Amino acid sequence: MSEPVVVAESLNVRFADQCVLDDVGFTVNRGEVFALLGGNGAGKSTTLKTFLGTVAPTSGSASVLGHSVTSDSDFIRSKVAYLPESVMLYGHLTGMENIEYFLSLADVKRSASDIEAALKRVALQADTWHKKLADYSKGMRQKTAIALALLRSAPVLFLDEPTSGLDPSAIDEFNQLVTALSEAGSTVFMVTHDVYGACQVAHRIGLLDQGKIVGVFERNGNELIDTEQVHTAFAKRNA
Amino acid sequence: MSIIKSVMFDEWRYWRRTKVATTVILIGIALALASVIVNSIEVRQASAERTELQRISEQTFFDQPDRHPHRMVHYGHYVFRTPSPLSIIEPGVDAFTGTAMFLEGHQQNTAMFSEQRQSSGLTRFSSLSPAFMLQVLVPLMLILVGYSCVTREREAGTLHVMITQGVKVRDILAGKFFSLAGSGMLMLAPLAIASLWAGVHGESLAITASFVLGYVVYILVWSAIVLWGSTISSRSNASFAILIALWVVLCILVPRIASTTAASLEPSPGKLETDFSVVEELRALGDGHNASDPAYEKLKQDLLSQYGVDDVADLPMNFRGVVLTYSEKKLTDVLNKYAEARMDEELSQAEIARQFGWLSPMVSMRTFSMMIAGTNLENHHRFLREAEDLRFDFVQALNHAHEHDLDYHTDINRYVNDDTAKAARVDASHWQVLSSFDFAPESAQFRLSHSLRYALQLLLWAGLMLALIKRASRGVM
Repeated sequence: MSEPVVVAESLNVRFADQCVLDDVGFTVNRGEVFALLGGNGAGKSTTLKTFLGTVAPTSGSASVLGHSVTSDSDFIRSKVAYLPESVMLYGHLTGMENIEYFLSLADVKRSASDIEAALKRVALQADTWHKKLADYSKGMRQKTAIALALLRSAPVLFLDEPTSGLDPSAIDEFNQLVTALSEAGSTVFMVTHDVYGACQVAHRIGLLDQGKIVGVFERNGNELIDTEQVHTAFAKRNA
Repeated sequence: MSIIKSVMFDEWRYWRRTKVATTVILIGIALALASVIVNSIEVRQASAERTELQRISEQTFFDQPDRHPHRMVHYGHYVFRTPSPLSIIEPGVDAFTGTAMFLEGHQQNTAMFSEQRQSSGLTRFSSLSPAFMLQVLVPLMLILVGYSCVTREREAGTLHVMITQGVKVRDILAGKFFSLAGSGMLMLAPLAIASLWAGVHGESLAITASFVLGYVVYILVWSAIVLWGSTISSRSNASFAILIALWVVLCILVPRIASTTAASLEPSPGKLETDFSVVEELRALGDGHNASDPAYEKLKQDLLSQYGVDDVADLPMNFRGVVLTYSEKKLTDVLNKYAEARMDEELSQAEIARQFGWLSPMVSMRTFSMMIAGTNLENHHRFLREAEDLRFDFVQALNHAHEHDLDYHTDINRYVNDDTAKAARVDASHWQVLSSFDFAPESAQFRLSHSLRYALQLLLWAGLMLALIKRASRGVM
């Protein structure tokens, strides 16, 4: 039986006179990868910020793991691993130190061997672990952030344009990681404008346009979502 | 708590790795340490010197041979103010007021040998007191160290990451606050050690503890100001500009405005004007050296009538001594009246300036520090009063000897020849009338009770900053 983890119901967000999210509703179940696809200004980041509790909904509701974003945002943040478009970690710290520091902030205790295992799992080369993050590529930073999410055992991952700026091999590696996490039971909610990437990993895709969900695509059994179909719908909306 | 600790340790790690903040902190510690060491040596030396000079001065007075008593009135005596133990940190007004005074008959001299008056411009700069370091320079260093503590995280996006990882804003701000306060405490450490040293050298435990505690609160207030500036700013350069402007206002402008306002609201008459008024009043009193001065005619007639004689030579006491005693009393009353008026004006000005502690934590800290250390204006006034009491007592005791132990005829004939001059002397044992001068700070209880208002000012600043940070933390999201 599917277990709803990320839920939006009739979600509306207005900034002054502008309607940014208009009656948005969707459910992401446990172990599912849900991609919210849309062009610039569609309202993707606002949706993500609403779930993170940094933007308050004007009306409607949003919840994560059954906790409302308006009343339990601290709890939600403690259960969510959030990867922003540009992974913001500390440039003056090494990859290992960044992970140790953020784990301490999350009050999670992990041994050095646990951290090394997580870094190996995300395929971050061992000779870079003790280098300062300032010297990392975007892909390496992302891997570090995912290793952190793994170590935090966060049941929910929020990804903001995760493949933006990555080279093709890094995108493949990333997609494999997301798939593996989902298979391990993590729930992944990502916002992206990368049609191909979304179709590669998502179980379902919601097409967002001008704050409204205008279409939902989902896998047919084990078949990936048809990229062509999604691309056509996306292009039509963003012509 | 562990999250706050993690944020705090990470901030220190950042400072260590970027080196700029570490350098500023090390410079702060080195300056504080150097100023404490230099001041301690100077004050200990001054204390030993003044104690010795006081002893020598008293001994020299006692060792004078048989003389005419009025020669001893003009021979005079020196008193020295030994510095309070905590003046190794807080010289207060002592650096500007004199530390020694020459006491003699018919005069109230001003205190001499102030450190600031004796030193040139350059040496003044070299004599930065530890109190000045902590009150003015340490806040500046805290700004240099911490102006970007929050804005840096905001600019790099790590603040957002931390918050979205579930870290509470108040924990982040608390961690940043403790890291800043910790660096301030490092710069405060030399002062704390020096305070212990002062405790070993006679200062009470309650005073040294309150003194250090006051500076701890002050450092906490400035750490909070820096954190607040960084929290409300979106960028590091804006935070730096805001905090530097605040430092200029709170540490330079408000103290300056305070003294200017005090001088405007309580204007002091010019020295020349006062001196003319004093001379005018004294002239009306007559010259005590001249017993025939018409100003003493009534005194003379009263005495003649009291003792039923026609000539002062027949009085049972030396009339010249009587006149000197009488005139010294009258003259001292006039001088004291002006001295008290001047001290009242100074105190009123100081009181007005101290009210600016509600507008600047630096002003409240400075006042609290001087009050607790016993180097405040009131203490200087007490020195002047105690010195004046000593002067009046020994002068009048000598006049009493003149009046009762020196025959009138011998006295008026003392300039006839050497023999009459020798005859007009009194025994040197009379010089023992001089009391020893031992100036000590007020009791611990007195100083503590009189500094409560300024402690309250500091605590209100702490409360205000707490409220401002709480308010600013809401905007971090």
